[in-house]
Amino acid sequence: MLRRIRLSVALVLLFALVFGASSVESAAKFKWEDWGPHVDTIIMPIVKDSEARRIAFERGESIVFPGLTRPADIDKLKGSSNVELTQVLGFHMFYVCFNMRKAPLDSQVLRQAIAYVTDRDNIIRTLFKGYMLPMTSFVPQSSNYYKSDVPTYPYNPAKAKELLDKAGYKLDATGKNRIDPKTGKPLPEIKFFTPTYEVAPTSAEIGRMIAEAAQAIGIPIVPEPMDFPVMLDKLDRSEFDMYALAWGLDRDPTFLYDFFHSSFDVEAGYNRPGIHNAELDKATEALFYAVDQKGAKTAADKAQAILAEQMPYVPLYSRPYIDAWRTDLVTGYVPQPGFGAAESSNYWTPLNIRRVDRTGKPIEGGTIRWLLQEEPKNLNPLVMSSAYEFDVYRKITDSLIRMHPETLEDMPWIARKWDVGTWNPEPGKKGTVITFYLNKGVKWQDGVEFTAEDVKFSIDYAKEQQVARLLSATQDIVKTEIVDKYTVKVYFSTESYWHLYNASPILIPKHIWKDVKDYKTFEPWKEPHPKVKGLTKLIGLGPFMLKDYRPGEYVTLVKNPNYWHIKPTAK
Amino acid sequence: MGFRSYLLRRVFYAVIVLFVILTFNFILFRLMPGDATKMIIDPKFTPEARAMLRKQYGLDDPPLKQYWNYITSLLRFDMGLSFSTRRPVREELAERLPNTAVLFLVTFILDMLVGISLGVYAASRRDTFADRFVVGAGLFAHAVPGFFIQLMLLLLFGYYWPILPIHGTMSAPPPDGMFLRLLDRMWHLVLPAGSLVIMGFGSWALYTRNTMLEALGQDYIITARAKGIPPRDILYHHALRSVLPPIVTIIFMSLPGAVSGAVITESIFSWYGVGKYLLDATLQMDYPAAQGAFYLIALAVIVSNFLSDIAYGLVDPRIRVGAGVSR
Repeated sequence: MLRRIRLSVALVLLFALVFGASSVESAAKFKWEDWGPHVDTIIMPIVKDSEARRIAFERGESIVFPGLTRPADIDKLKGSSNVELTQVLGFHMFYVCFNMRKAPLDSQVLRQAIAYVTDRDNIIRTLFKGYMLPMTSFVPQSSNYYKSDVPTYPYNPAKAKELLDKAGYKLDATGKNRIDPKTGKPLPEIKFFTPTYEVAPTSAEIGRMIAEAAQAIGIPIVPEPMDFPVMLDKLDRSEFDMYALAWGLDRDPTFLYDFFHSSFDVEAGYNRPGIHNAELDKATEALFYAVDQKGAKTAADKAQAILAEQMPYVPLYSRPYIDAWRTDLVTGYVPQPGFGAAESSNYWTPLNIRRVDRTGKPIEGGTIRWLLQEEPKNLNPLVMSSAYEFDVYRKITDSLIRMHPETLEDMPWIARKWDVGTWNPEPGKKGTVITFYLNKGVKWQDGVEFTAEDVKFSIDYAKEQQVARLLSATQDIVKTEIVDKYTVKVYFSTESYWHLYNASPILIPKHIWKDVKDYKTFEPWKEPHPKVKGLTKLIGLGPFMLKDYRPGEYVTLVKNPNYWHIKPTAK
Repeated sequence: MGFRSYLLRRVFYAVIVLFVILTFNFILFRLMPGDATKMIIDPKFTPEARAMLRKQYGLDDPPLKQYWNYITSLLRFDMGLSFSTRRPVREELAERLPNTAVLFLVTFILDMLVGISLGVYAASRRDTFADRFVVGAGLFAHAVPGFFIQLMLLLLFGYYWPILPIHGTMSAPPPDGMFLRLLDRMWHLVLPAGSLVIMGFGSWALYTRNTMLEALGQDYIITARAKGIPPRDILYHHALRSVLPPIVTIIFMSLPGAVSGAVITESIFSWYGVGKYLLDATLQMDYPAAQGAFYLIALAVIVSNFLSDIAYGLVDPRIRVGAGVSR
């Protein structure tokens, strides 16, 4: 136990050494508030080249530079006196997956031995100059569901050899390969798939490094970089031995159910390792159908403990979100665990961000220039899929529930409160019913009042139209019911704590969308608003409104004068 | 053979080529491994949602039905909806084409003017320092990777001496007034177009120089010299004119670049064009988008070849006659 704690401390220290203490400083300097917005305009220039983005930031053409990934940029900007880098742990996991359906990687000992020869620290130091956080559990450290006290596999080739020897994997006469005790023959070649060097150089290099380390102890792993679509095809058909890829995850640990429950070991299912473990199934089911947070936490802990023994994956590292800010021009950014300070899921920075005057004092009004790395091609909220589209849209929209910027706990927002209860969809069967109580006086950006009708419409529309990306969220919804103008109930056929989030839809205005027959081809940002000049049909409840989108050039957002949470004194 | 029948034969060939290209275009994307829905890697994307997406895209239809839909749609210039954006491909291409065309045409004209002039100049001063300089500079610019030249220019004029814009086709937001907007656009063209001219003038210069040297060695040039015609007249009225047909062909053959664009240039200078669109569509297995872009390029190639054939026929009547004889 003591060794595990030592390891965790060492990993955190390594991370802290790399980044220094700037994030702590930024958190201390600025106290977020839930009123806003404070700037009049946000201009988002679209700059695709990473070199050009850094130059635009250094020239002051843009004062927010989100999502830094290149160590060279980070090193360069870290030394600038008028630049602050905020960095927080992300909901991200890079992992190595084993195919447990077939020999030889159906052997737990072999998987554990490979985990022992995986030198995370060296990989992170060599390939990422230290800008990644080593991962040892199956939930990222940024999550409230992360369990630290699970068995870990620190780099230790001697321990790996000892494990193999003890389990009967003796070296053959050449001393280069081990004999499989089950077959009495040398271990067959184990192919390690990664994307190619051209597409993902670091992933391909990780493949080479792990293969070399494994070969050194007699496990014949051979790296095999391949075209990404080919690789995905093979993974979907389970035609692999092992591979390395990354997941972008979420605050909630329900992905453990999708990734490791035996029912998802189907073609194109996400149980790619093919793990079948009754105890794990029970734990992940308990997680997915938990009726409260406490139950979810207990189940997530149990699942992580089992996974750490079974090792279907070797979790390698988690990518932090690093964003750069021109401190001579801007303040008020809010680093949020798991989401970074400038990432699209962070609703708090757009609300709090403000310009500073020459003395560094925050001022009201003004313009913020906020870099966009790619084209936000489609601004239809039911179709959009890329992070760059959400980067724009999430400044325009708002939600019923918000995540606290520090604790990530749910906090009331447009819904001033909610109840989670049960009902009987059929005799003898229990379902969940969520009741949202909405704030009064919340308006769409065109001035129309937001009511329970809009919530009901948003859910019903997504379900009726079978919106592909909301299918999982809406599949268990049986019906919605308006109690009064500001109260709405959502009924689910099954019982689960997570239905609260499934019931919090993408909010779309009924008075605009009720006439939209095909959601897929609707281009709300291109159609003028039927009544309000200067607006388009892309209207939300958020702090900023879309003013102008010039494809390939920039997006301009302006302050929403009808925003329901403008600070009373700033009105 | 008369010019009219020559023209008809060319039109017939062009239609056949277009049909073959479209068919290959269809088959090629279906032969690629994987399918578009597998490019959406999202833990919450269920197999059911993926199946629905396949149905929505028409990927569940039999191949022949897909082929028929594809051909009939393209003939109506309906390129379908992009998988990744769900927007009409025709609209997406139309947004980008003007930018690519402007960048290309400006570069093309400058390249041609600079390259041909230098080529003629170098040929007229064979084996002098000027000749060696043009050949050396042309080879160097042609050999150095384009992205390296562009990144160097970006650093030089964007960072160390920050006088030029480094991204986009306009300022964000652009200035008021048409004249100022035009100036703003031209200002944004300087780096991408300038870098492309540096990268491209060499091939024009070397090609022109070599064809000119060949022409300058011909008997009729020696005769012209013997007759005492001024060297300048020999150079421009005799030699240059005789090398015009191949140069005209090259000019038309280069036109398809106007729609295929320069992928790297568009990425480095955030130029909203067709080249980057095609690259993204191919990488994302966005069939309709990639097929639409290829269709546009195929059309451009065929039309350019057709125009080149006509121009060649007009510039050099022997081509038409020759075609008739061979038949």
